[in-house]
Amino acid sequence: MTTYRKKTRSRASPQSSIIDVFIWAVLIIAAAYIFAPFVFMFTASAMPAGDITTMPYRWIPKGFYWQNYWQGIRGNDGSFIYLRNILNSLIVASAVTATTVFLSALTGFGLAKYHFKGRHFVFMMILATLMIPFEVIMIPLYLIVTKLGFQDSYLGLITPFLVSAFGIFLMRQYYLTFPQAILDAARIDGASETMIFRRIILPNSIPAIATLAVLTFKSQWDNLLWPLLVAQTEEMKTIPLYIVRFTAEKHTDEGAMMAVAVIASIPILILFLRLSKYFIGGAVVFTGKKG
Amino acid sequence: MKGRIFSSGIEHQKARWGWIFIIPSLVFFSLFSFYPILNALYTSLFSKKLLSLKPPAFIFFDNYVYLLRSPDFWNSIRATFVFTVGTFIPIVVFSLLLALLIMSRRRFQKFFQMAYYSPAVLSSVVVAAIWLLMLDPRGLANQWVNFILNTPGIDHKWLAHSTMVQVSTMMVYFWKYVGYFAIIFLVGLGSIPKSIHEAARTDGAGGWSDFWYITLPLLKPTTVLVSIMSMLQCLKTFSTQYLFTQGGAPMEPINVITLNLYYTTIRDRNIGLASAMSIILFCMMLFFTWLQFKTFRSEEVHY
Repeated sequence: MTTYRKKTRSRASPQSSIIDVFIWAVLIIAAAYIFAPFVFMFTASAMPAGDITTMPYRWIPKGFYWQNYWQGIRGNDGSFIYLRNILNSLIVASAVTATTVFLSALTGFGLAKYHFKGRHFVFMMILATLMIPFEVIMIPLYLIVTKLGFQDSYLGLITPFLVSAFGIFLMRQYYLTFPQAILDAARIDGASETMIFRRIILPNSIPAIATLAVLTFKSQWDNLLWPLLVAQTEEMKTIPLYIVRFTAEKHTDEGAMMAVAVIASIPILILFLRLSKYFIGGAVVFTGKKG
Repeated sequence: MKGRIFSSGIEHQKARWGWIFIIPSLVFFSLFSFYPILNALYTSLFSKKLLSLKPPAFIFFDNYVYLLRSPDFWNSIRATFVFTVGTFIPIVVFSLLLALLIMSRRRFQKFFQMAYYSPAVLSSVVVAAIWLLMLDPRGLANQWVNFILNTPGIDHKWLAHSTMVQVSTMMVYFWKYVGYFAIIFLVGLGSIPKSIHEAARTDGAGGWSDFWYITLPLLKPTTVLVSIMSMLQCLKTFSTQYLFTQGGAPMEPINVITLNLYYTTIRDRNIGLASAMSIILFCMMLFFTWLQFKTFRSEEVHY
């Protein structure tokens, strides 16, 4: 991350210290506004439904009401389908992440370091697909996936996301600055092109790969629209679909709803806390500035 | 085969490897991006239903004509438009403000960045579910608003009243993305050389004129980027509206184009019409992106 250092202001007039206090207050209030729904989710998940809707809301649960988590995992029909849905989300998100990272690195490397005819055209075509929103190609994709016989299967959930234009863009930008001399030296030593990719390029692009990986995983974990179309049986549904269904059911109480939300959020929050710089780095890829 | 490689030299051989590396992706792109966009255009000209035994009939622009005459679709355009304008403008303004405030601090910058970014990592569905409960008649939203406005016991009907439910979806989106875009502004602010600010100060510029005449003009590329990105996000909004309607909120005020598109596909199985809808959405996105470029008249900024 760029270091954000403000010009040193040594004068401490009473006026500037009032402004100072004011700015801190605004920042802290904004942080409280951002955090409150998080805290609400966690605390409500540990409260019986009656406590959640008491006014005013008590921010500290009286105890840990674990029955919420039990109801959330068990489901209202006692089928424990949520466990399967969590597994599905993990499988789909991991598979998409792995293929996206691999193919983006491969293609990004090919476009950045090999000077063949037509590569600019290919790159522009790939960039152009960034403009196409998923919602527009969703129906044709659904028809393709149905034709391939992939509906209601992992393949159906995964296939449309195997490559990403964003990923190729990110990896290409990263490889453009990779020193050509290292590649040439490896070639002189007799390394084949695939060996160069495996032994030199992949290990040396961990930051870019990590950025792409966390963003891809996150977007798949979040994906709602595509699984809604493709996953028809409860066994093939993913976490977001379970949350929607569970929320819509009559017998779901508020605490269990939040318990389900907490379970869905924990993996991604852990990833964020451990790898926040890659999340933040990925947010600013398009600024074209070294974030 | 071998002889040809040798005779054509190392550059030629390298070029071949370049193609080998990009071919797998190109095949996937052709199948899952290029073909579908053409197919969407094509399908939108047909009367075609999923699972129907009738062969699709070519009806030219009838789907588009039907949509442009349909009050239901105009309602969707209105819902999308209201949501987008009501969401992305506050997001741009407040994320810039937050970024400026964070930038002015010497300590805890890292903490505030992470704190404000954190809602963006949650699933949209989870976010919508949290807010669904907070907007409950007995929920936190009523308690806070009544506390601030000093109006105890009033139910603001966040999820029931047709205006309020629109405001509610905007609030959810605003909460999720304001920090995310603040981070992008921060990087933009960080890349303005300090020497320019210092020069302005030496010339006697105060904090306000420094912001108005130095920061804001130099930040223009970032502002354009944030405003286009957030606008496109809003035009595509789906999860919040979907979960809210599933949770019992009225459909009509928040029936955005994507939601309408989904129901036209799944419930009515009318994919010809749905394709036409998606193409109209696409054209709207292109048009508004172009419009923003045009209004900002984004000349390159040099510093």
